[in-house]
Amino acid sequence: MTDFKNLFAPTRRSVMLGATALLATPAILRAQSAPITFGTLTPLTGVGGTYGPSMRDAAANVFTAVNEAGGLLGQEIDLVSEDTQTNPEAAVRAVRKLIDVDGVSVVIGTWASSITTAVAPLCWENGVMLFTVSGADSITQLPHMGYIARTQPNSVLQIEVAGDFMLRQDSAGMAWIGPQTPFAQSSIDILAGQAEGAGIGMESLIYEADKSTYRSEVDTILRSNPDFIMLGGYAADSTVVLRDIWQAGYEGRIIGPAYAVNPTVLEALPAEVTEGVFTWEGAPDVGSSAYANVQASLGVEEVDPYSAQTYDHANMAVLAAAAAGDASGAAIRDALRSISQGEGDAVSDAIAGLEALAGGGSVNYSGASGPCDFDDIGDITGTQFLFRQISGGSPSDFERV
Amino acid sequence: MLSWLFSVATFAGIYALLALGINVIWGMGGMINLGMAGFFALGAYASALATGAGALPIPIGLALAAGLAALAGGLLCRLTLRLRGDYLAIVTLGFSELIRLIAANEIWMTNGSDGISGIPGPWRAELSPFQFNMLSCALVTLAVLIVWAMTERLRRSPWGRALRAIRDDDTAAAVAGKPITRFKVQAFALGAAILGLAGAFYAHYTSYIAPDIFRPLITIYIFLALTAGGTGNSTGAVVGAIAVVAVLEGSRFLEGWVSVLGGVEKAALREIVIGVALIAIMQLRPRGLLPETPPGPFLKRKDT
Repeated sequence: MTDFKNLFAPTRRSVMLGATALLATPAILRAQSAPITFGTLTPLTGVGGTYGPSMRDAAANVFTAVNEAGGLLGQEIDLVSEDTQTNPEAAVRAVRKLIDVDGVSVVIGTWASSITTAVAPLCWENGVMLFTVSGADSITQLPHMGYIARTQPNSVLQIEVAGDFMLRQDSAGMAWIGPQTPFAQSSIDILAGQAEGAGIGMESLIYEADKSTYRSEVDTILRSNPDFIMLGGYAADSTVVLRDIWQAGYEGRIIGPAYAVNPTVLEALPAEVTEGVFTWEGAPDVGSSAYANVQASLGVEEVDPYSAQTYDHANMAVLAAAAAGDASGAAIRDALRSISQGEGDAVSDAIAGLEALAGGGSVNYSGASGPCDFDDIGDITGTQFLFRQISGGSPSDFERV
Repeated sequence: MLSWLFSVATFAGIYALLALGINVIWGMGGMINLGMAGFFALGAYASALATGAGALPIPIGLALAAGLAALAGGLLCRLTLRLRGDYLAIVTLGFSELIRLIAANEIWMTNGSDGISGIPGPWRAELSPFQFNMLSCALVTLAVLIVWAMTERLRRSPWGRALRAIRDDDTAAAVAGKPITRFKVQAFALGAAILGLAGAFYAHYTSYIAPDIFRPLITIYIFLALTAGGTGNSTGAVVGAIAVVAVLEGSRFLEGWVSVLGGVEKAALREIVIGVALIAIMQLRPRGLLPETPPGPFLKRKDT
């Protein structure tokens, strides 16, 4: 009977592999029967997991609504969602599956800049349009042949706007403290330039992320006596830095990006630590009817900037395909600017836009994240920024520019 | 679909190379190397810089990657010779963070956390994406076969036997006159070379590397692969790597299969499936799918 036992050992392995192959079958069949397939690639797990699920839902709801209203080019839109795991290695595998198995013509919603840079070459090589919310300057400088469009203002613009704000608030000495990121050095250079123009001092320090205390880094930066500190990190390290700045007895002002000083951070820290801290973000266009659509479809009072952007991605993908009369990646790329900007009728959702296009008109889509106008390399122009100030542990609007 | 299968097979091949490398260091040599991602990164960066900025041909990039990783591995092993178990694990983990931090901060060389994009691949410009996937798959499979044959040959050799003796009881091996230091350094360097080679293949295949790629997540996947496949067994390492990639990629299709699940639930379910698979394997086959057997002539099999 031992022979039988030896025979059985490898079979378990084959059973496992066989089972995995079995799992694959239905989805393949489904993918082939759906002529228009769009994909979302958002961080459903990992660091970006706070945003990814609602980013996906915001896009998915648009496609559902379009399908209910009769579909796109006479066909149903099939949506396939994959998870980046907030990791470029995993994201590359995920986008391969979206492109090679599902045959998507559009990928929506890559969040972290390193992930967008990793998946972008696969998209343009295969003629797939990539809509992203990443901010690193280098992304639109890639040789992407028009296949990248981003609705997030690039980091140069974000820092310039925040630096202007600090100067408007009569800063007499600025400081920047943050981890090593694709935009760390450019942030420092921009602020230094602005400080020099205003004739004030500017101190900066790049620290190592994932530490449990930044007391010595904070002490170093405070030695230059700044009265306005900009945080350059993400939520986890900003929590620690804010606490350490407070413990060091700093009495000046602080500003941080809204994704770093987010509700989780405000909940984790006592109210006195975050009192008076400013945040800023590329603001969703809260007065727009597109914004109201996202509020209603997600069932939330306040829509985060990323979900507002993926809602716009989905609408623009649908409208560009309709305007081109073709849902391929190349057609959507070529038609994108004809529906996102220009002289057409202003529309804020795909269904109204589809009607206008069907009537032989042209449209200019303005979305939940802003006017959604793109320059030649795919960067967004004309975004609004919202500055807020924390008081009693919750943010209130301070200024809109 | 076929293109995707080739791409998955290429990733499986790269994972298999990593598992084979770790198998030499940990499975055969008994040294825990949690710094796997560091050697993987070293190889990837070495080859990317040599073939990109240095404009050298890709085969030289591969050789440089393996050579540099071997050198770093040998040095690290020599420095940590007195450490074992948990302590060695911590130091090697530190090494991999060190490499990642250098990659993130030495912007003049590595382009920092923006990463290096546009790394050349063999005939990438001339081939269609499908043909490139097919070629990459063939090349990586060939590399896995060569490395597998080489490590299997080593395992059956007197060198492999001595290494096993050192792993199981280094005092006894020393008493028997085996030069322990030399064996350990050689094994570590050889394993590191294979890891570096895997890094180079990864860089040339995906065309983009950044410090974020070399976080410990991939190390966990590979240790999972080796544990599942059978520690100490080269065939087990390859089988385990293929199984891990099959589960990672196959679980993407759960959405089509269990239609009630949305994207978020599916993402969570994938992680659960991977965890449960590991627990199940450890319960049913604690020594892995293919346990290490003492090497002997191919055809004689011991009945148990």
